[in-house]
Amino acid sequence: MWSDILINILEDGAFAAMAAIGFSSISNTPHRAYMTCALIAAAGHSIRYMLTLPELGAMHIIPASTAASFAIGMLAVLFASRIKCPAEVCFFPALLPMIPGMYAYRSIEALLSCLYHTQEEAFGHYFYLLAYNGLTCAFIILGMVVGATIPVFLFKKLSFTATR
Amino acid sequence: MMTTSRICKPAETTGNAYVRATAAFLADYAALLSGCGATCIRIEKNTRRMAEAFGIKADIFIMPTYVSVSVWGKDIANPSVAMRKTANCGISFNLNAQLSRLSWEVADNHLDFATAAERFDRIRTTRPTGKWEVLILTSLANASFCRLFGGDAIAMLIVLISTLAGYRLKQIMLEDKRDVRLTFLCASFFSAALSAGGHIFNLGGTPEIALGTSVLYLIPGVPYINAVSDIIYRHYLCAFSRFLDAAVLTACLSAGLCAGMLILGLKWF
Repeated sequence: MWSDILINILEDGAFAAMAAIGFSSISNTPHRAYMTCALIAAAGHSIRYMLTLPELGAMHIIPASTAASFAIGMLAVLFASRIKCPAEVCFFPALLPMIPGMYAYRSIEALLSCLYHTQEEAFGHYFYLLAYNGLTCAFIILGMVVGATIPVFLFKKLSFTATR
Repeated sequence: MMTTSRICKPAETTGNAYVRATAAFLADYAALLSGCGATCIRIEKNTRRMAEAFGIKADIFIMPTYVSVSVWGKDIANPSVAMRKTANCGISFNLNAQLSRLSWEVADNHLDFATAAERFDRIRTTRPTGKWEVLILTSLANASFCRLFGGDAIAMLIVLISTLAGYRLKQIMLEDKRDVRLTFLCASFFSAALSAGGHIFNLGGTPEIALGTSVLYLIPGVPYINAVSDIIYRHYLCAFSRFLDAAVLTACLSAGLCAGMLILGLKWF
């Protein structure tokens, strides 16, 4: 069982790293920062994966995302000065693989279903799905952004001297 | 698009001409930093750092589309003000990093005004990452995204192809100077319509994940994150503007996704 979990964690980290490199390129990140972004993304996503596993933390996805984002922010602040880039250059591409895309998609799906169904019972069901998915999505994003920004705020001097 | 430099390079390092030239330089610097997606606190800190190194004092006023820098020497009652429109250069962490480094070089290595202005001109001509490199890496990234959301290999392939097509359309439309909102809507529609093929032809076991993931490369993540950072540092107007900008783009990509699903008659109603 533990070997399966380990493989899943590694797989999760590898795909998160690939996603981070891709999203780095969209934002014109310097090439020297690609590997750092990939490593930070892999670490962050694996942490969230572990925290939500029933065998390990069994944590809800919102606090797990916040904790993982805090780790991403800390790593970004630490590594930023090594690659001579601002901390946000490192943590933004690393955060993107944690975006709750499926919750966002299901929210839109539920919203359209709400508009389409006029009967109270069906409407109520889809409205519940809209509220559940929408709120979960919004709070995951909020937790992620706040979690990743706190280290920059806490270690202001370190964060703003990374390019020195 | 980059504007040509308007910085004059005075020979003397004191007097009104110097203060005026420095104000113009700092405003150009702040406008480019703002345009490339830096947070307000970074724009403020970098600009002030350089002003201090040049031996003058500066205040900066950052609005969503304009930046204004007020600079004064010995006479605070007689400041020189320069206002610039935020540079329309798109998000670029490369520019952000280079501009931040320039501010430290000015502060630590005591670069003179002329050298700093020359380096700034060189930085603003930095070429963005190659479009084919971005296209391929983004497509691979979105396919990886699909895997992270539980998609199977077929779903990953569908997402890879739909992202390749959608992102290329986005590049073409932006090169043609089309409206960014229309571009997001069209790219999202194109990607959603292609990835809906998984649903229509029953390809793989997770076609809904392929469809949901196919438009995620369009999510404007940088403005969302910058908006929160601006809130923390109490730049509420900029935060609100960035958030609204990102929300409009998200609405456009959602509309494109929904239009794709509606036109192809997918059964989610």
